[in-house]
Amino acid sequence: VPELGRAALVVCFGLALYAVVAGFAGAYLRRRRLALSAQNALVAAFVAAAVSVGVLLAALVRSDFSFTYVSSFTSRELPLSYKLTALWGGQEGSLLLWLLVLTGYGAAAVLLDRRAGRELVAWVVPVLGIVAVFFSLLVVFVASPFKTHVAPADGVGLNSSLQSPYMQAHPPMLYLGYVGLTVPFAFAMGALLSGRTDERWIVATRRWTLLAWAFLGIGQLLGAKWAYEEVGWGGYYAWDPVENAALMPWLAATAFLHSVMVQERKGMLKVWNMLLVTLAFSLSLFGTFLTRSGVLNSIHSFTEGSIGPWFLGFICFVVAGSLTLVFRRLPLLRSKTKLESLASREATFLYNNLLLVALCLTILWGVTFPILSEAVRGESVTVGRPYYDFFLRAFGLPLLLLMGIGPLIAWRRASLRSLGRTFLWPFVAAVVAGAGLIAAGAGSSIPGLVAYTFSAFVAATIALEFIRGTQARRALSGEPVVRAFGSLVARNRRRYGGYIVHAAILMLAIGVAGSSAYNTSRSARLAPGQSLKVRDYTLVYRGLNSTRSENAVETRATIDVYRGGSRIATMHPGKNSYPVEQQVSNEVSIRSDLLTGEDLFLITEQVNRNGTIDFKALINPLVNLLWAAGLVFLIGSAVALWPDAREERRLAVRYGHLPQEV
Amino acid sequence: VAAVLAVFLLYSSIAGGGTPSLRPSSLAGHTGKVALAGRVLRPVTGDAHGAGLHFRLRDVKGTATVPVVYTGSVPDLFRPGRDVVVEGHLRSGVFVAIPGTLVTKCPSKYTPKKS
Repeated sequence: VPELGRAALVVCFGLALYAVVAGFAGAYLRRRRLALSAQNALVAAFVAAAVSVGVLLAALVRSDFSFTYVSSFTSRELPLSYKLTALWGGQEGSLLLWLLVLTGYGAAAVLLDRRAGRELVAWVVPVLGIVAVFFSLLVVFVASPFKTHVAPADGVGLNSSLQSPYMQAHPPMLYLGYVGLTVPFAFAMGALLSGRTDERWIVATRRWTLLAWAFLGIGQLLGAKWAYEEVGWGGYYAWDPVENAALMPWLAATAFLHSVMVQERKGMLKVWNMLLVTLAFSLSLFGTFLTRSGVLNSIHSFTEGSIGPWFLGFICFVVAGSLTLVFRRLPLLRSKTKLESLASREATFLYNNLLLVALCLTILWGVTFPILSEAVRGESVTVGRPYYDFFLRAFGLPLLLLMGIGPLIAWRRASLRSLGRTFLWPFVAAVVAGAGLIAAGAGSSIPGLVAYTFSAFVAATIALEFIRGTQARRALSGEPVVRAFGSLVARNRRRYGGYIVHAAILMLAIGVAGSSAYNTSRSARLAPGQSLKVRDYTLVYRGLNSTRSENAVETRATIDVYRGGSRIATMHPGKNSYPVEQQVSNEVSIRSDLLTGEDLFLITEQVNRNGTIDFKALINPLVNLLWAAGLVFLIGSAVALWPDAREERRLAVRYGHLPQEV
Repeated sequence: VAAVLAVFLLYSSIAGGGTPSLRPSSLAGHTGKVALAGRVLRPVTGDAHGAGLHFRLRDVKGTATVPVVYTGSVPDLFRPGRDVVVEGHLRSGVFVAIPGTLVTKCPSKYTPKKS
């Protein structure tokens, strides 16, 4: 059976190669049938990739340990759901998943986006083909998921910390995001190749970008939630390179989503958008490269890794290729209009873009610094948390403020008078909130205080937009408030979906600021009966008990939690030890206060022979806003993504139905 | 853009020196704060939440070793044979770690199981 999987991948590789060659030939020679056949090859490549994924899944389910991959990442007693998700547990499987998602996206995009114009799509197909060739090349020749060996009695199993539902969902979400960015990139390159550099490629890929971006965002939040609950150090984001790997393309894509609005509306920033989409796509390749090549350990282990050099080569090829194309098409990418004023919607978009890209690039610098310094000086130098925190504040806080200004400020040019009128109430809200927070003692952290004052400002602008919109709608149609609100959002999905996403980002900012600037941590060694006071909580350690489960010894401490004189909870932080794997894992205990969004986070750091424990308690204020923000983010993205017949009609009028040039 | 870049370069040249990350064999002569990467050797003794956890780190590929004393949280994956990174200072032949800086090197999130 592994032969079937291998054969399907070879077929996939061949089809992708054909899509490239036939696609370029068809587009260049304007042979419609050739172009169509390249398009079909792309769809067929998806089928071939699906077959090989099916083969690997079947092997995983049957625990066919003659597959090296199956025996490396699963074991007999592993629950079925984890056997299935082991598909993306290792490098080879992840690459296979990349290929499947890529060909799937590619096939769907060229089939659904015919409106973009045949000539454009004809050039998009070979670009998608090139990416597919690269990934199928990797899984066919370099990192085959279908390697076989003499079947061992049992597999190695899956790392216990990865046995979590969040970890099942997190990688595929990220891949859907990473790979999704291929679509706007391919359309951008298609636009350059075909010379059709108007807004069409942007209109055609808006939803794809949004979808990929939403997946990336949700995937990262799932990863953060996993880190928070499973890794057990009390935080959710550590500026770890593998975390940054997902953040960077997300930031670049965020910038892109904003700047394309300026191009659609004003015909400006054409070159910039091409560069941004290239940046986003290269960073998503780079992210896969970072997490999969071993480059993070050391540049030395990287050169030993099998896929690393391939990835690096491909990234260089993508960057060089797209820059050359942009350069050659520069005359076509001239702006139609110029920036008229530094106080205008366009300018705000521009600031937002600069800040996002600057944040993205400083993170990139931080991530690559150890590698660069090792290559240059022979000594690897790492930058730590202070570096990232500094830039997050330096660029993130102004971004937060812009989120309030951008949606309200006028296009072209805003007069001082209109500025005063528009921002009076948000400004008042910010001042009141700031004063209130200082009175409440939030002045202990200046960045936290600034973040909250800005947040109040943004929240007020968002609320104002919804209120004004609803009022205008009511005045127009005489609908009752709720109906008017509903139809307001339904009629302007993109705009109000965007505002909902802004609200989610705001919640995220409040949650991040709260849990990082105002958290409390205490640790102590406790004997049974002793207690520890953390802010208004009193924690009493009652004792330990151990139970044996199927594959682990589970030790749990019993902690009674008192607040205001009464017992509010009993918590059981502890450790599991896995004798077979010779591994221990912290099992933290978290009590969320849903009213205040605050978490009491307990860690049993060490169990001593005499029955005492070394115990750590953290209070993370507002951290639950992060997870709530994830839901709001999802809702906002869904609103913005939802198909809108009115918009379709508008676009059809603007760009004509199907250009008949081919 | 230029202003942003200038701020950035200024910061990274002044404060952004970062932490050199070294192997036990290249540690000699460094007195400042460094990140030490190496493989944990048996035996591991002492108490990370008391007087300190004592162990030796060896070059991942090599033979040079250095004694380490560490206090603070110990990651789940820590045990002899694993590769770790810890920050601290070299003080008369002993690497005194900064509390709570011990991390295991295998990126636990994406590389399941390395035995």
